[in-house]
Amino acid sequence: MSSPSPIPPPNDRRSSRASSNASQPGPGSSSNATSSLDVASEPSDLLVVGGPPSSPSPLALRASNSPSSKRRKSRVEKIPPDLHLLEYVSPCDSNLVCLICHAPFGKPVRLVCDHYFCRDCLDHAWEAQQDGHKTCPTCRNRVDVDREPLSVPRILENMLDELVVKCPNSRLGCEWSDQRANVQDHVMLYCEYTLVECGSYDCRFPVSQKDFHKGCLHYTVNCEHCHTSLMRRDLEEHQTTACPNKSTSCPHCATEVLRVELKAHIKDVCARAIVPCPGAIVGCTFVAERTEVWLHERSCPMATMAPHFREQQTRLERNEAKLEPLARRVVILEDGLSNITNMLYPANDNASSFPVTNPLDPNNADAFPPAPLVPTPDFRLPPASLHDSLREEVSRIATALTEVEGRASMMIINDGQRFKDELLHTNANINNMRVQLHWLMSTTLQQRTANSASNSTSGRAGSGATASTSAPSGSTTQGAARNRSGAAGPGVTGHSPFRRLSDSTRQDTKL
Amino acid sequence: MSTGAKKRIMREYNECTADTPAGMKINFDEQNMTEWEILLDGPDQSIYAGGHFKLKMTFPTEYPFKPPVVSFKTKIYHPNVSNDDKGSMCLGMLRADEWKPPNKVVAVLRLIQALLIEPNADDAIEPSIANEYKENRKEFEKNAKDWVKRYAK
Ligand SMILES: [Zn+2]
Ligand SMILES: [Zn+2]
Ligand SMILES: [Zn+2]
Ligand SMILES: [Zn+2]
Ligand SMILES: [Zn+2]
Ligand SMILES: [Zn+2]
Ligand SMILES: [Zn+2]
Repeated sequence: MSSPSPIPPPNDRRSSRASSNASQPGPGSSSNATSSLDVASEPSDLLVVGGPPSSPSPLALRASNSPSSKRRKSRVEKIPPDLHLLEYVSPCDSNLVCLICHAPFGKPVRLVCDHYFCRDCLDHAWEAQQDGHKTCPTCRNRVDVDREPLSVPRILENMLDELVVKCPNSRLGCEWSDQRANVQDHVMLYCEYTLVECGSYDCRFPVSQKDFHKGCLHYTVNCEHCHTSLMRRDLEEHQTTACPNKSTSCPHCATEVLRVELKAHIKDVCARAIVPCPGAIVGCTFVAERTEVWLHERSCPMATMAPHFREQQTRLERNEAKLEPLARRVVILEDGLSNITNMLYPANDNASSFPVTNPLDPNNADAFPPAPLVPTPDFRLPPASLHDSLREEVSRIATALTEVEGRASMMIINDGQRFKDELLHTNANINNMRVQLHWLMSTTLQQRTANSASNSTSGRAGSGATASTSAPSGSTTQGAARNRSGAAGPGVTGHSPFRRLSDSTRQDTKL
Repeated sequence: MSTGAKKRIMREYNECTADTPAGMKINFDEQNMTEWEILLDGPDQSIYAGGHFKLKMTFPTEYPFKPPVVSFKTKIYHPNVSNDDKGSMCLGMLRADEWKPPNKVVAVLRLIQALLIEPNADDAIEPSIANEYKENRKEFEKNAKDWVKRYAK
C-alpha cells in the first residue's frame, strides 16, 4: 500500500520550480507553481527574483533568512510532510475523519453517495478493483469514475486547514505547532530539525538543518569522561543526558553525584528518596522519605523482625538449593536399582516370586517383608528397604550355595573312598594271583625235577620246594598273602581261596 | 505494509484500549503490530463462562481493505469456530466479501463476544456442531462446557 503522494517528490518540484522561474520569470508562473502544491500561499511568495538557471529559487532565497541555511548547498533535499502521518494536538471532530485511514482527511474527495474519503485512501481501495467495477468502500455503490470523485465543499477544506498539528520533527526536538495549512512551509523552509543531507562531500548521513553549518559531525570521537566511542554529532547529548562519569543532581535531594552512582544513591543513601519500611517483607505498609522511615523503624516491630526473617529466608533458600541435587541423585539411584532388579529377575517383571516386586511403591507394605523400618524421611524409604531385601536375598543365595557345595564335596569324598578300596582289592588280587602263579610254577618245577630224579632222592625235592616258596617274599603284604594262601592251600583247590576273598571284600565295599 | 496502514492499526489499538469490551485484554507489540493477542474471558451469561480463551488477530498487508483474520488459539466447541489447529472464525463482517474498510476492530471484538453468547448456527463452519446446537441443545452445552474444563481453564 505505498501511497502515491499528492505532492510530487521534492526533486521534481525543485527542478520544475527552478526551471519555471528561470525560463519565464513572472508572477503568473510562480503562482501557478505554488498553487499546484496546495500550499497556502502568502503574498511574499509572489516576489520573484529572476536570474540565470543556476540561481536559487525564490523559496530557497526566502529560506536563506535563517542563518543556518547560508551555507546550504545544492544537494540539500527535504522531504515534504505526509499529511497522513501528522500528529494532531487535540482530537478532532469525527466528521473530519476518513473511515479508511482513521485520520483527518488529507485531501478529501466526495462520492455521489455522499461518502467522503482521502484521495489517497480511495485510490488504494480502488487499486484492487477492476476498472468499471469501482465501488464506494462504505456502501458499495457503483462509482462512475468519469464523474467521480467529486470535490468537497470549501468549508470542509477550511476546517481541515485549521486543525492544529505538531511539527513532524517533534520527536527530534521541534516544538512548533500550528494550523495544518502552515505545516508544509514550516517543514520545508523554517524547521531547524528537518533532516538534510550532510554538507560534506563524501558523507551521506542526514543532519538536522540547525547543525548543518557545523560541518560534518559524522566522525567517531571518544567521550573524555567515559571513553565510550560515539559520533561527534551525539556527543553533547551524551554528556548532558547519558554519560555515566558526568555528575548529575539527584532528583530527590539535589546532591551532585556521578550518573553511574545515581541509582545506588537513590536506592541506599538518598535521605529524600521514597522508600518502604524494611519491615515490608513481613507486612509493614509504611512508605515515606528515608529520614522518616528511619524514625519509623525504631518503633516498628516488623522492622525489627525483618532481619531475622530475611536470614531464615536465605537459609531456607540455601537448603532448597541443596535439596535439589540430592533429589536428582535419588532419582538416578532409584533408576540404577530398578535396572539391577530387572537384570537379576528378568522374568519377574510382573511381580510374583521375588519379594522386592515393587519396592518403590510406598503403599505396598508387603514389598518389604522383614522391614519394620525405623521411620526415615519418606523419600529415602523405598531405596533403603530395597537394599535390605536385596542383601537378604544375597545371603540366602550364599547359604544355598554352601549347602550345595557341602553336598558335592561329600559325594566326592565317598566316591574317592570307594575307588581307594577297590584299588586296594585289586592290588590284593594281583598279589594273590602272583603268589598263585609262583605256587603253580614251583609245583610244575617240582613235578619236573621229581620226574627227572624221582627215583634218586625224595628228601631233596621237599627242601627245594621250601626254598622256592620263600624266594619271592619281599613285602609284608606279600608275605601275609602267601601265608594266608599257604594256610588255605592244603586241602582246597588253588583257585577257590581267591574267589572267596574277593567276593567278601566286594561285599564289604558295597556296605 | 504502508505507514498509513500501521497508523490506522495504531489508532484502532488506541480506540480499543479506550473502549475495550468487558472481559477482554489485548496484548499489543509495537514491533509486530499486525498480530494482536487477545485474551478473552467467556462471557458470564454464556456457556463458556469461566473459560479463558486466547485469540490471535492478524492484520493482512492489505488492511484495511481486507479484513483482519481471527483465530482461536484455545480450543473451543463452537459452531462458528473451526475444530482444527487453526481455530479460525470467519463469518459476517470477517468474510472478505463482506468486509468494508470503515469497519472497526472494536466492532470485530464485539462480534466475537456476541457469538460466544449466541452462536450463529446458520452460518456455521462446523456443521455437525451446528446441528447439535440446533437439535440437541443439552448435549451441545454439555460438550461445550466439557471443552471449557478441558482446554480453557
Ligand atoms: Zn484517509
Ligand atoms: Zn458510499
Ligand atoms: Zn519543526
Ligand atoms: Zn557528515
Ligand atoms: Zn561519556
Ligand atoms: Zn538524593
Ligand atoms: Zn514499618
